[in-house]
Amino acid sequence: MVIARAGLLIALLLLWQLAALRGLPEYVLTPLQIIQSLGEALGSAELYEHIRASLTRSLPGFAIGTILGAILGLAAGVARWFDRLLTPAVFLTYPVPKIVMLPIFMIWFGIGDLSKILIIALACFYPVFINAYYGVRQTRTILVWSALNMGATQGQVFRRVVVPSASPMIFAGMRVALALSFIVMFAAEMINARSGLGHLIRVAENSLRFDLMYVSLATIAILGYAGDRLVRYGQSRLLAWREPAA
Amino acid sequence: MNRVLPFLFVGAVLVAWEAAARSGLWSPLLFPSLGRIGGELASFLSKPESLGEAWVSLARALGGFALAAAVGVLLGIVMGRSRFVAALLDPLFSGTYAVPKLALFPIFIFVFGIGSLSKVALVFLECLYPIVIMTYAGARDVHEKLLWSARNMGASRAAILRRVVIPATAPFIFAGFRVAVPVAMIVVVITEMVSSADGLGYQVIYALSSLKTDRMLAIVVVIAVLGYALDKAVVLLRDRLIYWEKLDTYYV
Repeated sequence: MVIARAGLLIALLLLWQLAALRGLPEYVLTPLQIIQSLGEALGSAELYEHIRASLTRSLPGFAIGTILGAILGLAAGVARWFDRLLTPAVFLTYPVPKIVMLPIFMIWFGIGDLSKILIIALACFYPVFINAYYGVRQTRTILVWSALNMGATQGQVFRRVVVPSASPMIFAGMRVALALSFIVMFAAEMINARSGLGHLIRVAENSLRFDLMYVSLATIAILGYAGDRLVRYGQSRLLAWREPAA
Repeated sequence: MNRVLPFLFVGAVLVAWEAAARSGLWSPLLFPSLGRIGGELASFLSKPESLGEAWVSLARALGGFALAAAVGVLLGIVMGRSRFVAALLDPLFSGTYAVPKLALFPIFIFVFGIGSLSKVALVFLECLYPIVIMTYAGARDVHEKLLWSARNMGASRAAILRRVVIPATAPFIFAGFRVAVPVAMIVVVITEMVSSADGLGYQVIYALSSLKTDRMLAIVVVIAVLGYALDKAVVLLRDRLIYWEKLDTYYV
């Protein structure tokens, strides 16, 4: 069992590397070549510039979307009139690919970083809003009754009962939002940007620099993985009181 | 009052839009009036060739989704019922889950060409994850008592799979489909915006570069309606097939 865990991954990488002996097409680099070109790129300043450009778009977008989503989702969960006002519109537009708004945002907010940050925020808003909303709705009534019975005010019930019981759901929404923020960032940069990892992969593609393509790919993969780990770490620290989920 | 509230927000947005369009503060390029967007929408819907563009996008999304559904459900059920396969595949899926698969697109273009195939392959890959993960979670947690009872009553392995495991997993499978369908639309539109000569995503970019904002917004409306309709179709199918369990998550 233990060998099987990492086994398949290692076996696949090995097979990939060995396949190179039989000759691979030019656009398929071997794992060793990818590691080598990644090492070279990490030694130059250019890659860091692109990473910085990408993160200055995705992180503020993620932050804005997540904070707004959590606040409005909590509000819609507790206040019925607000629920009636906002939730139908959110659910109606939820299955719509938000990236189609990018051209409109480009016209409204310019082709710079602002339109990209806002489109990322828009994409991140939905999963967090929906999860916060359902997190509140799933709060067990017996907890609320007990708190009220023991003399808690409305504000206390919200702060001490509703928010903690919704927070695991909010974190689950944040994980989805983080993954989305990277996807939308990459898409926006591929469509229109002068810097960033999505731009780098386009440049590499157009100049047939396959090594750069894989460098960009590996970097975004590592960033996505690290970001996800970070959210999960934050969740385990902040929600340590909660029994671990399966 | 409660019945009016849901329409209040949408109505307010539309009124604000029309007001912005008529105020003359911004160029009609920024805020084309609702009438002009509606006109473009009508002309889009009346032309067979633009309906063809919509069909191209829809076929790519559905093709990739159908492949992912077939492979994903199979993998998820096998993972859920076999510890060995789960130990083999689970690290692979959970390890690469947070990685944006979209970054593979330029490589897919070289491998599968710039036609539909590279887009369908990417849709397949992106849709596979939610379907596998949800199906796996469902197949793993099939009630032990149901399995024991079936075995006790002499059901064969195939009968248990068909009559117990699959029905018990079905709600999870559809939860996965529900996540995957919007993803399919997103990936199709993005890939068509990045590199294509047809499809709705390309039409959006084309309208943008010819500065026809009203036409662009009309196509955005078409994409939005398609995304919404696909989601509704999954819910309808789910309610028909899984009649014994009501959908109580998400939306009304």
